[in-house]
Amino acid sequence: MRKVAIYGKGGIGKSTTTQNTVAALAEMGNQVMVVGCDPKADSTRLLLGGLAQRSVLDTLRVEGEDVELEDVLADGFSKSKCVESGGPEPGVGCAGRGIITSINLLERLGAYEESLDYVFYDVLGDVVCGGFAMPIREGKAEEIYIVASGEMMAMYAANNICKGIKKFATTGTVRLGGIICNSRNVDKEYELIDHFARELGTKMIHFVPRDNDVQRAEINKKTVIEWNPTCNQADEYRALAKAIEENDMFVIPKPMETDTLESLLLEHGMLEVA
Amino acid sequence: MTELLAARARQVIRTGEGEAGIECEKQSVAGSVSQRACTFCGSRVVLYPIADAVHLVHGPIGCAVYTWDIRGALSSGPELHRLSFSTDLRERHVVFGGEQQLEASLVELIERHQPKAAFVYATCIVGVIGDDVSAICRTVSERYGIPVVPVQSEGFQGSKKQGYDAACEALMSLIGTADASDVGKHTVNLLGDFNLAGEIWIITEYLKKMGVEVVANLTGDGRVDDIRKAHGAGLNLVQCSGSTTRLAMQMQAKYGIPFKKISYFGIDDMAAALYAVAEHFKDPDMLERTRELVSAEIAEILPVIEECRRDLEGKRAAIYVGGAFKAISLVKALRLLGMKTVLAGSQTGTRDDYDYLTELCDPGTVIVDDSNPAELSTFLSEGKADLFIGGVKERPLAYKLGVAFCDHNHERKLPLEGFIGMANFAREVRASVCSPVWQFAPRHQNTEPQPLEV
Repeated sequence: MRKVAIYGKGGIGKSTTTQNTVAALAEMGNQVMVVGCDPKADSTRLLLGGLAQRSVLDTLRVEGEDVELEDVLADGFSKSKCVESGGPEPGVGCAGRGIITSINLLERLGAYEESLDYVFYDVLGDVVCGGFAMPIREGKAEEIYIVASGEMMAMYAANNICKGIKKFATTGTVRLGGIICNSRNVDKEYELIDHFARELGTKMIHFVPRDNDVQRAEINKKTVIEWNPTCNQADEYRALAKAIEENDMFVIPKPMETDTLESLLLEHGMLEVA
Repeated sequence: MTELLAARARQVIRTGEGEAGIECEKQSVAGSVSQRACTFCGSRVVLYPIADAVHLVHGPIGCAVYTWDIRGALSSGPELHRLSFSTDLRERHVVFGGEQQLEASLVELIERHQPKAAFVYATCIVGVIGDDVSAICRTVSERYGIPVVPVQSEGFQGSKKQGYDAACEALMSLIGTADASDVGKHTVNLLGDFNLAGEIWIITEYLKKMGVEVVANLTGDGRVDDIRKAHGAGLNLVQCSGSTTRLAMQMQAKYGIPFKKISYFGIDDMAAALYAVAEHFKDPDMLERTRELVSAEIAEILPVIEECRRDLEGKRAAIYVGGAFKAISLVKALRLLGMKTVLAGSQTGTRDDYDYLTELCDPGTVIVDDSNPAELSTFLSEGKADLFIGGVKERPLAYKLGVAFCDHNHERKLPLEGFIGMANFAREVRASVCSPVWQFAPRHQNTEPQPLEV
């Protein structure tokens, strides 16, 4: 079983990328489980055709300790298995503890079956506290992909996430598998992210071009592969899935100092010389 | 011999060796196993004796259990304070927030017990998840028309001293919320007396004989309505200096009430406290009444002191208490019994108190701030102490070493304040020090203890 976590700046397209990639992996015949680790609980709606299932924490709140796996695990596109961790309303409680509670419960309920080929954790944008790092602790996700674009703040965020991975990599087994570029049509974006990834000691595993078919599929509550299996973007996600399937480069990242990051942006014409 | 942790080296001095002053009023050193309690516990022990209020601990059940009825503060009326209420926060409350649980608990408790006020203590986890305790308190207060006071006492803020400050903040929010126009001129508030074994009633009786009325007890045998009009009093008497000096200073700044740091322990300090009150009110008749009171009381207990002194002369005592101000009174009281102090320490003493203590004690006395079991055991053995005076956490140290013990903290059952308290103290010290049981302690044997034969 390969255990994968997807991180990246808020709004960069983690959930969309994860679900489309999972759809492609499932289409290839893999048994895949997706665990949404975001209090908003919107990490599986494309695979499930809408927000159809109760989150682990909501179930726990209503049912108490008597939670069954069937209560929280739903079948999605191409027999993918979908779980939403869920969490509190904005501004109350502790969402980070919620993720810890939720993953512990899933383990206890035996959600991580031997027959699974992949588990994907889709984690809230910023690793704001220990709870959001839960998926990359010892024994959980072992390979991380960071979704980024050529926009400056997305790269700052990716670099920060690498600092977190480095911390857990030195005490555990987690490694960085690569950077997924989710294109925002920034000038020379391919070269920039490719260079950025190499600086971090990893590689750009795939460049996903910007295509409005993604939005069209989302409006229909579907992944691109389910909505229109023959469109060009469906093939892009298949290519990303294949790259992940064949990936054998797992590294402890080398996060950059802010100066290095900015000089890289300068080099690719993103920052004007003051 | 236990070696001192390097970071604590300046928190221990020996009098008469010309050292610079002691280091104190700092956070405990990690790993030192300090005798201090946490911030939450500090708030809880100060406010707990307010007898007609609900005391609700917002946190996991353990915080409430371990502070349940924690000091023997007696009440002359209601005993609501002796119950320990908790919101019983569980994992799901931590994840989804504990505010609803808090509101429901307050509503249930207020409807069931009709308290005069409610105090809500914020524990560590509440500080981490960020429950808006103040907002809930405001809502419930408006609904029931009683004060509902948030106490910002998250344990991780520091030691119990920070908890004292949070308790004082909570008290300040109650004081001044009721009409005090009927409060007379010769009136005082008693700050920092927790009415252990009914001690506050002894002091109140002395004051009554002098012609001084007590407005509010802060906090032993305390009542919410009294505290709300405490701003009308003419003088604040601060006994446990560590816990309520800050409150006295705040009341002075806000309401212009002067305060005096006094102690009710021992003949000297008890008499000095009463004279200080009489002198403050500048009433010659009151001063005369005080003289009569003091001489009558002393005459009554002196025979007891003299009798005990005969058995205790030359014995050696060690003191480790909450505040250094109390240690000062104890050194004097022990001296009256003919005893020598070999160790004087406290958990939260201030520099001024320690400096005075250093001056007061005989040369060679160990003065220690924020000590721990390993150090205290060493000091007891090295100083060849015959008696250890402390609280519940010091008691087992004394007994393990075969040293007599006197509880001068929450668990005492006999009043030790006032003149009668000095007589009680003398009797208790003699009974413990002269008990034949200590002859069996290893330190009084020439040989090491032998294993039992089976």
